[in-house]
Amino acid sequence: MNTLLTSARHEVLCTLRARVALLLLVVFLGMVSLSSLIGWITNTTVTRVYAKILADGLTTAPNPFAGVSSLYYSRNSVIYVVLIGALMAIILGVQATLRDRKSATTDLVLSRPVNIVLRLAGQFLGLGAVIASVLAASTVISWASISVIVGAPLGIDPTLRLVGFAALSWVLMMIFALLGMLTGLYSRKETTALLVPFVIWSAVAFVLPQIGTAARPVALLNPVAALAPSDSTSFDLVGAITGPFAITEQFKRAASIVLRDDSVTGSPLASIVLLVSVLIAIAWVVVVTPRRTLRSGLNE
Amino acid sequence: MTPSAISTSALSRNFGTHQALAPLTLDVPTGEVFGLLGHNGAGKTTTVNLLTTLLEPTSGDAIIHGHSVKADAAGVRGSIGYLPENVQFYDNLTLLENLRFFARLSGLRRPDARIRDVLGFLDFTGHDNHRVGTFSKGMRQRVGIAQAVLHSPEVLFLDEPTSGLDPEGVRTLRETIVRLNHEFGMTIFMNTHLLSEVTKTCTSIGILNHGRLVHHDSLRNTLAAFPADESLEDIYFQLDSAAA
Repeated sequence: MNTLLTSARHEVLCTLRARVALLLLVVFLGMVSLSSLIGWITNTTVTRVYAKILADGLTTAPNPFAGVSSLYYSRNSVIYVVLIGALMAIILGVQATLRDRKSATTDLVLSRPVNIVLRLAGQFLGLGAVIASVLAASTVISWASISVIVGAPLGIDPTLRLVGFAALSWVLMMIFALLGMLTGLYSRKETTALLVPFVIWSAVAFVLPQIGTAARPVALLNPVAALAPSDSTSFDLVGAITGPFAITEQFKRAASIVLRDDSVTGSPLASIVLLVSVLIAIAWVVVVTPRRTLRSGLNE
Repeated sequence: MTPSAISTSALSRNFGTHQALAPLTLDVPTGEVFGLLGHNGAGKTTTVNLLTTLLEPTSGDAIIHGHSVKADAAGVRGSIGYLPENVQFYDNLTLLENLRFFARLSGLRRPDARIRDVLGFLDFTGHDNHRVGTFSKGMRQRVGIAQAVLHSPEVLFLDEPTSGLDPEGVRTLRETIVRLNHEFGMTIFMNTHLLSEVTKTCTSIGILNHGRLVHHDSLRNTLAAFPADESLEDIYFQLDSAAA
């Protein structure tokens, strides 16, 4: 237990002292903060145009923004988590395990009565705490800015949904943080340690969904999940096969439901179970890393 | 007879087909300052890595303060301190933060008082909140000694501790080693190239040649076995070349 907490505390400290990590945290928080603003600007712009064409008698349709959920304003955060959040998590994860290998402090750590599983689990816990803190801050910012935009404090239901979205984001970001930790442990070069998870991320976030959603590739950059919407049987089949691996799509689907996006229906449970399963599987692979791998040097 | 702090029996290590350490049988009594000498690649660092449980032996075993490196590696780690060659730390953290981390890993729950005691002993005060990344080589070496002795280990392993130090740093480190041995009775196992330091700090020596221990005796006996005008350097080369 001592090793677990010591490693977790140490990880938090080292992460907060690293400039790159701090910069990424600030960028992520900034983007989430802007998310509500962007949603609000979209709303007011569309409403202004709508009011003009309504006055000109060019439409009788209702205002598309009338009656939208207050959580609409945080929809863009979904894509920021997939794009910026995941990349930030990869860098934090790589740094966590490369730190000891780069600075040759591994031998100092391993010469102590330290349980390796607890040491690595502690690093995971520390990263989890940092990411949870960032997401907590972003949730508070979202809650406050949406409250300002709608002119009243958010109620219990939307507040809980925002918290649920943060929890879901944590799971996705920790998957990528663990991926970074894993490549930081096993790669022979620092560049490889960074490059491999980025390639995996881009494949998971862009290639896999595109195979299954080729008919509507634009969905990739929208905060709306679209798993195999094609009417082709082959696309359905490929979508069904790649769907479980396209974890960012699973995240987008679950997050959209949690944030009450009307374009996505159903239960988020299957997607959440899949994401948590992936998280547990990668965490297990990380913590069973053998001592000799921890001691392996970098070829640089 | 003084009990052994370090006792190896046919301890060996191969890397693929290369035998880095031939079966080594060695006893270092408690309270000794043992200097392991040898040319580059002789197997000194491999020996220290085996004794500190950083490497697993290919065959044989070693008992460190009553703990087997094979059967009770955690027990070994709990009773040793270790200073690697070219020791590095977390440069973004302060001295205090670095030492707290290693102290807590060694099981000290509230280490600050102990850290201040050790830094005082090393005459290294006033740097607590300075980032280690700004420290010179000599200062880092003192931090290295501090992290190695924070938990009051029974046996201290030093791998080329004077490597890269200026003459003042070498002298300070030598004095520290002697004081740790005299004041706390710590057994010290030291790899070194500097023969001049061996004569000033070690009570017994061993010489490794291509992974084989070719000489092991007290420093006094070693020097007495040769003419009085021969330096330890001359003796070392004679023993080393005789073995080759």
